[in-house]
Amino acid sequence: MTKKRTGVFVCHCGTNIAATVDVAKVAREMAGENTVAYTQEYVYMCSEPGQESVVQAIKDNQLDSVVVTCCSPNLHEKTFRDNAQRAGINNFTCEIANIREQCSWVHNDKAKGTEKAIKISRSIVRRVNRNKPMDAIAVNVTRRAMVIGGGIAGIQAALDIANAGIEVTLVEKQATIGGRMLQLSETFPTLDCSQCVLSPKMVEVKRHPRVKLLTYSEVQEVTGSVGNFRVKILKKPTYVDPDKCKLCDECTVVCPVVVPNEYELNLTARRAIYIPYAQAIPASFTLDESACLGLNPIVCGKCKDVCEADAINYDMRPETITEEVGAIVVATGFDLYDQENMPEMGGGKVEDVLDGLQFERLCSASGATQGHVLRPSDHKEPKDVVFIQCVGSRDPAKHCAYCSKICCMYTAKHARLYKKHVPDGRAYVFYIDIRSGGKGYEEFVQRTMEDDDTLYLRGRVSRLYRHNGKIKVLGTDTLSGQNVEIDADMVVLALAMVPSKGTIDIAKTLKIGRDKDGFLAEAHPKLRPVESVTGGIYLAGAAQAPKDIPETVAQAGAAASKVIALLSQSTLSRSPLIAKVRRSHCTGCGMCVDACPYTAIRLEGGKAVVNEALCEGCGSCSATCLRAAIDVKNVTQLQIHEMIEACLA
Amino acid sequence: MINVQDIRDTARDMLTKGEVRAVIGYRRGSRGMLAEPAFITDPAQAGDLVWDPTCFHNLSLYLVEDRKFLTHVRKTANAPIAIVAKGCDARSIVVLLQEHYFKREDVYIIGVSCEGAGVVDERKLAPHLNGFQATNAAFDGDDFVFTTAEGEKCLPAREVMADRCLECRIPFPKEHNIVFGEDKTGRQLAEPFAALTRFETQGTAERWDFWSHHFDRCIRCFACRSVCPMCYCDECVVDSITFPVTTETTAEDKANRIRWIERSAVRSENITYLMTRAMHLAGRCTDCGECERACPVNVPIRLLNNKMEREAREQFGFEPGASIGGPSLVASFLDNDPGQFIR
Repeated sequence: MTKKRTGVFVCHCGTNIAATVDVAKVAREMAGENTVAYTQEYVYMCSEPGQESVVQAIKDNQLDSVVVTCCSPNLHEKTFRDNAQRAGINNFTCEIANIREQCSWVHNDKAKGTEKAIKISRSIVRRVNRNKPMDAIAVNVTRRAMVIGGGIAGIQAALDIANAGIEVTLVEKQATIGGRMLQLSETFPTLDCSQCVLSPKMVEVKRHPRVKLLTYSEVQEVTGSVGNFRVKILKKPTYVDPDKCKLCDECTVVCPVVVPNEYELNLTARRAIYIPYAQAIPASFTLDESACLGLNPIVCGKCKDVCEADAINYDMRPETITEEVGAIVVATGFDLYDQENMPEMGGGKVEDVLDGLQFERLCSASGATQGHVLRPSDHKEPKDVVFIQCVGSRDPAKHCAYCSKICCMYTAKHARLYKKHVPDGRAYVFYIDIRSGGKGYEEFVQRTMEDDDTLYLRGRVSRLYRHNGKIKVLGTDTLSGQNVEIDADMVVLALAMVPSKGTIDIAKTLKIGRDKDGFLAEAHPKLRPVESVTGGIYLAGAAQAPKDIPETVAQAGAAASKVIALLSQSTLSRSPLIAKVRRSHCTGCGMCVDACPYTAIRLEGGKAVVNEALCEGCGSCSATCLRAAIDVKNVTQLQIHEMIEACLA
Repeated sequence: MINVQDIRDTARDMLTKGEVRAVIGYRRGSRGMLAEPAFITDPAQAGDLVWDPTCFHNLSLYLVEDRKFLTHVRKTANAPIAIVAKGCDARSIVVLLQEHYFKREDVYIIGVSCEGAGVVDERKLAPHLNGFQATNAAFDGDDFVFTTAEGEKCLPAREVMADRCLECRIPFPKEHNIVFGEDKTGRQLAEPFAALTRFETQGTAERWDFWSHHFDRCIRCFACRSVCPMCYCDECVVDSITFPVTTETTAEDKANRIRWIERSAVRSENITYLMTRAMHLAGRCTDCGECERACPVNVPIRLLNNKMEREAREQFGFEPGASIGGPSLVASFLDNDPGQFIR
């Protein structure tokens, strides 16, 4: 092997690195390495002149490999690999030594920081010494997309992608698309009707020639990777043919089964055969298998008898549909934090204590009370209503640490809606702070306080319970320093937003990460907020973090644009840095098969075999293998050994 | 109580019918009371088989040796091999099956329940025998009975039983083709991990002194590795002497073989060897105790393996060798993993 000619480029990163690391010394030390032919330091290596100097130095000094000691490879590995390629050498002979995040940012002592930076840099110089030049793997792209979740985020993303000329499959678990937004009465800060705003989009998505709508369907399995996913979807039977159903409603009249209506958040009941809302899309009834007496004309069969359109078919069976797509948008939304977790707020057991969504249904013209605010317990108009903010939110000790972001606004909206419906009623709001950042938001809250005469009390509620037909609410007003006792007719809790159960499930199916609060994790908090950590999978809406409708729509559009950009290419280049089996060492124990998050490894003839199209080069297999029989290319056992040696020397 | 004649009959019967090509079991050894491994291919020798509290070997090691031999001579087995297996041994076999080392149909497991006893620890027994050698050992349900030149000596089980048997949670081979003896799970004489718990009450300094002492004494004879059925790798990661050269080995492989550990038996290298071994056995060690028994200088190796076993149990509810289809410790993860980063 001829001796390598490595160039080492030490970046100051302004003072980010230079303040804690003697960069000149790092460069001097690296110059002493056997394989290093050139060293250079510069204040901002990633700047245009910095990059040019790297290219020039490679050409001038006949370098065949490059080490840039700077920030995390997450940020600039691609930058400098591209530069290596521009200078005419293979881009995979360029590596980053991270002396910022892993050194200068976490240390104070300059002497020790310098020593560590030297060790890190030296280890990468040794690693690069054994890097092999490689070519990216080209893969064809499937020019179709899938959106999972049919709420406003999913609808918007599907429409945007479809309008760019790409076919989309929109998968929704419920019997109708529309999601949470369809349950809302009015939206802040304009107080326009939520369904009126949403339903044109629902109709559009239904009629769009490039959108394939799969409702009452769940994603079961996803294989493949960016550009080429294979998705298995289970389409549950609705037992009603949507093309034949005339929406005459005769079936619900005769259906003998009554169950709580989950679309009305259990405020009302529905039959086993039902339509979620008048605006449901697809506009068809659905027969709930779990509630029906048995899908059998001998047992009941009343709905089938009355259906003149002959739309009901008990023989419908679940269908598994396989779709091949190049990109996926996940828009699976949120749930509210379970009231059972809040015993001080009644734990869901005190009558007339509602959550925000239930209150929306009370206010909604299409809701249980046709838009009259009535107490669920006795259908009387409540005269004293207490709204409590931050229920479960901002409580790191017991519940969710984060702010659910939209509760300040929708509580103000609730108070206003209530006053509109019950002008002589009194509304009280318990709050910690008012967070009303957003266009027209602060003015909206101010109007609620001033015009609508809502009493805002700064403090928390310690307890509530039933007392003499009222709900006794005990709280504190921290501004006056007094304890407050209110006899309320109704209490509305602004419960924390949590990732929906579907979000948690889909994260497992897609193998995309979740953050500490359980929401889907974005690839970078600032620069890649709509990408998941897995290539080709994008995020939209409240599944990623609590957000309001405008933000959700904006994020859905952003995710769609990422999908469009990805699918506008005919081929993708995949990193060639993937796992490779050393067959002589493999005993076929299969641990790597279990450890691989991408199902990229299988056993064949008693040995592990890597599927190059699926491997992401994460190295889980390599870390698991007891026999060092599987390596990631350019991160081989020998390289790791020499890196450790360089660090310990 | 197990009637050893039943085991002999089973072995003879299967060998006669040609259902198995060999029976791996125990027979009386040449040194006093101790049993030794027996490899029986002739039905006439089935009568040599014994079963008593000196049958401490984990015979699954020989299944590994058998497969290695077959691979070496490039032959496939024409019939399964039968093996006498205690609870811990059977779990070892399950781990080997999990790791696809051989197939379930390649092995016929003659399970033997320890019936709440276990095996004798020679080192614990010696002081009780006044310098005499025992010629026979038996278990009467509560005590061990040893025959020496002085006559019979009856000793309470907990005084001479091996530590791992005292702490054993599952003294019954759940995975078996046929089983002898009753399942007396639950009749354990000491808390699980009792020795480890006792050890961990000491401070860091004492523990370091303890291990420094033992790591200094290891002579790196690799008896622990040789006796362990889980240490079946062709090339041990700590020892480049066993580097396998096959037709697929390239010149570059040969030139670049890595020496993670130096060969000299000094503390730093010994620590790395024993620690690496403990790590590689995490989730695989079924606490058969053979490594500690085989150690000529009495390094308490079980403490290391036990530590890993207890961590796996406490953190993930993991039981090594519980079922053939079960997950492996290091290659699986739970949705409720205690580490949030992995979810």
